[in-house]
Amino acid sequence: MDGKLEISLDKLPIKRLEVIEENGLERFPPDVGYEEKRESLIRRIDFAWAVEKDDKNNKQKKRSRETSAAQWEFQSMVDNLQLAHQELSVIIDLINTVEANDAVTVASMTRPRPFPNEALSDLAVSAATKLQCFRHLGKYFKQSANALEQQMAREARFYGALIRLQQNWKVKRQRAVALASGNEGFTIDLFDNSLYDPAGIFRPSPLSTVCVDHDSAGMLAINLPPKSYHSLQFGFLSAYTDDMPIDSSKTKTQSACDADKESVSDDECVKETHSLLREVHQAIFSEQVFDLVNREACNQSLGVTVTGIQENYIQLNIGQETSVFISLVPTSQGEETVDSSSTQNLENAILPLDTLDGLNLPEDKPDTPKKKSVIPNQISCEIYLLQIFHQHVFLKAKDRPTSGGGVSGQPAKEGSGLLGHFCMSLAHRIFSNKVLMELENVVRGVPYMQLTSHPTWHSRTSSWTLFVKIPQSILHACQTRASDSHHRKHVTKSQFHTKVVVTDDCINVEGEGAPNVVGLFKGTSQEICSMNRYDCDLADLSVIILQQVASQVIRWLHEEALMVGIKANWDFLCLSFELEQGETLSLVAHVDPEDTEGCISWWLVMEDGFVEERKLSLDISDGASESRKFLGHLSLEVLYSTMMDLVGLCNGGGN
Amino acid sequence: MDSQTQNTSLQRLQNVEKRIVKVLELAGSVMDELANPTGPRREAINNHVREFMQLIKDIQVALRDEIKSACDYRPFEKCDYSSRIANEICCKKLEYVMSQLDGMKETIDDYHTAV
Repeated sequence: MDGKLEISLDKLPIKRLEVIEENGLERFPPDVGYEEKRESLIRRIDFAWAVEKDDKNNKQKKRSRETSAAQWEFQSMVDNLQLAHQELSVIIDLINTVEANDAVTVASMTRPRPFPNEALSDLAVSAATKLQCFRHLGKYFKQSANALEQQMAREARFYGALIRLQQNWKVKRQRAVALASGNEGFTIDLFDNSLYDPAGIFRPSPLSTVCVDHDSAGMLAINLPPKSYHSLQFGFLSAYTDDMPIDSSKTKTQSACDADKESVSDDECVKETHSLLREVHQAIFSEQVFDLVNREACNQSLGVTVTGIQENYIQLNIGQETSVFISLVPTSQGEETVDSSSTQNLENAILPLDTLDGLNLPEDKPDTPKKKSVIPNQISCEIYLLQIFHQHVFLKAKDRPTSGGGVSGQPAKEGSGLLGHFCMSLAHRIFSNKVLMELENVVRGVPYMQLTSHPTWHSRTSSWTLFVKIPQSILHACQTRASDSHHRKHVTKSQFHTKVVVTDDCINVEGEGAPNVVGLFKGTSQEICSMNRYDCDLADLSVIILQQVASQVIRWLHEEALMVGIKANWDFLCLSFELEQGETLSLVAHVDPEDTEGCISWWLVMEDGFVEERKLSLDISDGASESRKFLGHLSLEVLYSTMMDLVGLCNGGGN
Repeated sequence: MDSQTQNTSLQRLQNVEKRIVKVLELAGSVMDELANPTGPRREAINNHVREFMQLIKDIQVALRDEIKSACDYRPFEKCDYSSRIANEICCKKLEYVMSQLDGMKETIDDYHTAV
């Protein structure tokens, strides 16, 4: 080897960093010892120049003949070629190693400087990629906008419906439920927690919380299993009522929910949901009322006899002969049922509720073919039951205001007495129906009588008035006569009335013109009577009323006779005139409620001078007898003229 | 809040949502414009971006107003559920009365036809 051996020494030791940490701390490798230093320095002797020289000699054997003056001109070319050669050898080694399947890591590679057209094409590619990205982004934004718009529309429907429902119902939200179930977690709370309930009577039932779901189109929907809620039903168990127990809540048809959803507008959907919520709310109330009814029934309150209990069913006895039941029946939604209440009403006696009293029932002459029943209408009883419980338990629990509802005037009931009160009201209603039937019979039998009902605003009191009206023709005749006679102070009465009041099951009759019982037994003549009142039974009612009315008529005739100046005696149902020779001519009234032609009939009785007991009623109807003549059922005009004839007879006889 | 203002507030929030959708659409069209192979038109991009910024500002203003005017959440103070039950009972009474009146009318009609 020719040439000098060159050794290059570093002037400065290079300390290479081994590690630099995050906080900037630099770590250097541990110092090496002197020997190692020498060895490493020896290793660092660069023999590259020798390698280069060899290469140079090998390559430039052909070019070594060129001028050495030109050698430095091509130095850069030579350098480049050498670098290229090195890279090529590395690559060949790499390829050989890879072919031998050895793992290779590249330590470093110097990047060749790119040519301008390469740079430009790189730039073009990156620009095209960016444009592509922009296009993708644009498409993505537009798709998102579309999806968001659709989502917005769906949610707008849902939340619009929810807000409308929120105006009437309590809407609550639980986010935990939302996370678990996937919908928004809204529920509607139907439980009224504003009631003051120290005894814990009102508990939220599982019905009270209704989950708000979505239907297939994303609209608000409430899914309730069918027949999951009940409604209260009241009915009579009697042989002679043919009432079908009907569900009063079935008048609504819910066909819209079953129709295809697309054709139903949002408005209708909200209305359907609202109706459903109303039904569930009522069902909760019905269940509470049924619960209270059961409690009271089992507490042995007054007037309540329990004859049967099942699940959702309780049976009670009212009075002796009537049985009622109260039950919870499942409400079926989406079924159309015929509302049979209207046909039902024609079969039963349409007896008004307390609020409907005051109807003037005029005397209806033609025979009504309908057979009337004394059982009140089922629906009205059901409504009454709900009303009294609502008013006295629920409103009381809320500190109800002092102004009562339509049932004002009713004494405040304890919560425990409500069912008893209800049963007694029903018993009263049945009893007063019977009373009314008797009164109607009586009024039908007497042509000059009228019947009026009065509102009492109390569910256990009923009241009627029977009027006897003096016809106008007689009144005029009386007045002309009164102006002639000297009896100025006599005021002609134009009507007499008898009042019948039923309280629970006690009948009280009050009327004018009836002598008191004491006077009746004494057999003496008339006493000036004011209003008399007495109690009676149902069986005797007709007779008593008829006797009352007949005595009123007799009294009137008596006063008319007195006005004319005739001395007449009046004794209960008998008006007698004295003829010459001590004979008496009597006009006697006979009452018979069973008489189909008329309830009050009249007899003319002629008696001799000796004193006899006045006959109250005559059983023998032989009109051919001299002492008695049957006059028949006379109207008031005929009676009046008959009396006038008798007066004339007396006058004529007296004179 | 009565129902009137409640509806308006809901409408305002819905308008905000519509603006968001519009903002997205504008972003999409800006991107499309930038992706134009012949180069983006400057005026169009300016218009779009101006509208974008305006809409963002409107959204912010509307949301801020709504947040400020949202009332406190109060639990259901005045519960009208028992009045609702009273109403339902009154409805039942009404139906019953109507059926009674219908029955009376039928009776009257029968009477008149019989006469």
